[in-house]
Amino acid sequence: MIDFPLIEKVLRLDERHKVFVDRVRGIEDIPSDHDFSFHFSAKDNLCTSEFQATAGSKILQGYRPPFDATAVRRLREAGGFLLGKTNMDEFGFGTFSTNSAFGVPKNPFDLERSCGGSSGGAAAAACLLEDHLALGVSTGGSISCPASFCGVVGFTPTYGRVSRWGLIDYANSLDKIGLLSRSAKDVRKYLPFISGPDARDPTSLAQPSMDLDEKVRSIAIPEEAMPSSESEMGKAFLSAMEKLENDLDLRVEKVSLKALKYALPAYYILATSEASTNLARYCGMRFGVLNEETDEHFNEFFSKTRSACFGKEAKRRILLGTFSRMVGFRDRYYMKALAVRELINHEYGRVFQDHDLILTPTMPFISPRFDEIARMRPVEMYEADYLTVPANLGGLPHVSVPCGYASGMPMGMQFVAPHWREGRLLTISQEWEEIFQYRFPEVG
Amino acid sequence: MKIGLEIHLQLPTKSKLFCTCSTIASYPNSEVCPICLGFPGSRPALNARALEMGALIARFLKCEINETIWFSRKTYFYPDLPKDFQITQYESPLGTNGEFYVGGRRIGIWRAHLEEDPGRIRRVGRAGEEVSLIDYNRSGIPLVEIVTAPDIESPSEARDFLTDLLIELRHLVGITEQDEQTVRVDANISIGEERVEIKNITGLKNLERGLKFEASRQSKLLNAGKTIVRETRRYDEERGVTLPSREKEVEEDYGYIGEPDLGVFNIAAMSIGMETIETPLVRADRLCRLHSIDRQTARQIILTSWKLADLFEYLCLSSPAEKVIPWLLGPISSNWEDLLRSMNHETKEELSWIIAGVAEGKMTDGEGRQRIEALALGTEFQPAELKSEEELDSLIASLVDEHPQVVQDYKSNEKAANFIIGQLMKATKGRYQSREVVERVKKELERRIKES
Repeated sequence: MIDFPLIEKVLRLDERHKVFVDRVRGIEDIPSDHDFSFHFSAKDNLCTSEFQATAGSKILQGYRPPFDATAVRRLREAGGFLLGKTNMDEFGFGTFSTNSAFGVPKNPFDLERSCGGSSGGAAAAACLLEDHLALGVSTGGSISCPASFCGVVGFTPTYGRVSRWGLIDYANSLDKIGLLSRSAKDVRKYLPFISGPDARDPTSLAQPSMDLDEKVRSIAIPEEAMPSSESEMGKAFLSAMEKLENDLDLRVEKVSLKALKYALPAYYILATSEASTNLARYCGMRFGVLNEETDEHFNEFFSKTRSACFGKEAKRRILLGTFSRMVGFRDRYYMKALAVRELINHEYGRVFQDHDLILTPTMPFISPRFDEIARMRPVEMYEADYLTVPANLGGLPHVSVPCGYASGMPMGMQFVAPHWREGRLLTISQEWEEIFQYRFPEVG
Repeated sequence: MKIGLEIHLQLPTKSKLFCTCSTIASYPNSEVCPICLGFPGSRPALNARALEMGALIARFLKCEINETIWFSRKTYFYPDLPKDFQITQYESPLGTNGEFYVGGRRIGIWRAHLEEDPGRIRRVGRAGEEVSLIDYNRSGIPLVEIVTAPDIESPSEARDFLTDLLIELRHLVGITEQDEQTVRVDANISIGEERVEIKNITGLKNLERGLKFEASRQSKLLNAGKTIVRETRRYDEERGVTLPSREKEVEEDYGYIGEPDLGVFNIAAMSIGMETIETPLVRADRLCRLHSIDRQTARQIILTSWKLADLFEYLCLSSPAEKVIPWLLGPISSNWEDLLRSMNHETKEELSWIIAGVAEGKMTDGEGRQRIEALALGTEFQPAELKSEEELDSLIASLVDEHPQVVQDYKSNEKAANFIIGQLMKATKGRYQSREVVERVKKELERRIKES
């Protein structure tokens, strides 16, 4: 299965869809006596020693990490062969993967459209390659969004389930490593491998074990997240609701989740606050791009490197985050956002008392064309995440699965489970696959 | 005058605060790893021992201890700071509102917290062609920072405070080395309205001298009718003056946020079960009370050696403290290194016996000294001139003849013999072994009682 035709295909597809930042160059890169049982890819913010790790940023161009991310190491130990590092928005900052310094990945269904973001390359790889497992990372919806736009299953575990050792940080209190694939069966098979405590990431140490076959009986649908029944998304979502109720015999009920609307601003404040401190270390010395102008004052030296190498969105988020934690604004923004996070978890907890899962559409629309994206203002782009952000803010596990097709493009819906109950998501997404046929583009 | 101190003390852990690198380095940048260099994708894991030491210090300073603590990121750009933020504690220190007494005066402790040290920048090369080299061996070294209230009233009190605090804390957490790297102080001082901060002072002497200079600088300004501006200065050790620091005068905004990678630690539960040990100055206080000795002497004993204080307490079991002290600070201290090497229960018993013997007059000072020296050198004690038994007996006989009353007294009280023994020791200046003298005096007295 790791053979010449596969590598040929990878190179061909990468040429057309700009899936990878770094990848195998040819059959020579595959050991001849291998016993790999599957192939996988890693988002380019996961460190591995044989490829660059740039996190989609020019400031890390050519950086070869001295160690492997735990998730990558564990998949290797499970028999996986790493094909390459998938393209992404710079440091995860984006919804359409248009903020990469290394080209923009193109949607498998339509080259004029986005793969979604920030794990755009991962979703494209999962869609384009059969039996492929893509490691993605979500901070505010970066697995669900591209999974929905590329028509694949995108699984985001509970915060703390998968060790973040070797993950280039966006926002440490929100970052989660997950899996994208054509089928939930692969997720069920490989999630246990990448999960589990790791002393190198203390936040992974307190996790309970997973019940992979947990039953699901009831689903809550927040009224606040219902799409207009006139829209393509609305039609697909309503028919999916019916199918769940009729074919899977689930209790589907509307509920109210008022706090959802506070999630987006709270998320952007927390995420950018943390990001602005995480990105402080990139300054042209020690690793990544090296600035040779060592006779300058360090302030000039740092500023020049950062001005030249960070993309526009990265700069915007550094400014937003730095502002939110400044004296005088810190209480009004950063501290308040922490309180909102508590509030949202509390509201989710209330709904989960009576329901096993919460269901919403994943994205409000099908993947937009690049010319449409070019016309969007930053706030409009941020708002596109309003359905994926709340669960991410709460650190809740969630999965996006295809639920319909419009204009030849896939749409997704997202199930959210209580903390540590990934088993419910595995159950529902496997059952859904039995009653709903996924489509994948024919590619040469 | 108001003085407040911020004291940074290195905790004596084997590995760094957030990684497994050694705290002892062999050459520049020998002890570094992706974590203490802040490489992308690396993350910290807390050294539990450092947290325990920190909690112990907070408890010792009688701080209020929160249920839980967490860490924060203090963000600022500097080449010696690998992540360009320092992991420290902001809202939730190890402890707050503690106290420490110096010279009987209470000095408030505002807070104590844990943090990581940055690296060090070294300027090398000829003037005009200098280059900066960075050594990250110290990056991630665990520090505890102790912040006092501005309760200190003079530069000499600041020095006394720091001296005493370090004596206690070094013993408490087991710091054996006393190199200047282990303690760094920032001092705030005001004699009028506005305070001035002197950054990065190393050493006790520099602390006192820096503060003295700054106090007189401020009072000269005030006397000249000028105002003192709030600023940060540094102490120039060579010239003995404080100078305006090149740093910006505006208060830097560090934009503190929580450190999400480390989580929350239940420090209250941890510190309850913590064993508190007696620290040197607490022990000195106890010795003062228990043995009615003065404070200075008690400190001297303990600061010479913890084991010397152990010996003091042992010797006081059989002799009063005022008899023990001259021996302890005299011959025992001057032979301390040698005695310590062979110190065991027999040595202690022997020392106790010597001191008691001299106190009771059974032995001369000279013999006592010689015996202690012999003990220290591990040689057999040799009396200066050994006289024949007959000679000793005749000396005793003539002394008893001179003082016949002793025989009568001895019948009712054996201690009466001590008078003759004392006279004899005086007359012979320690030429005889005291054991032998005691034995023979008693024998003579008993013989005479029988005869009468």
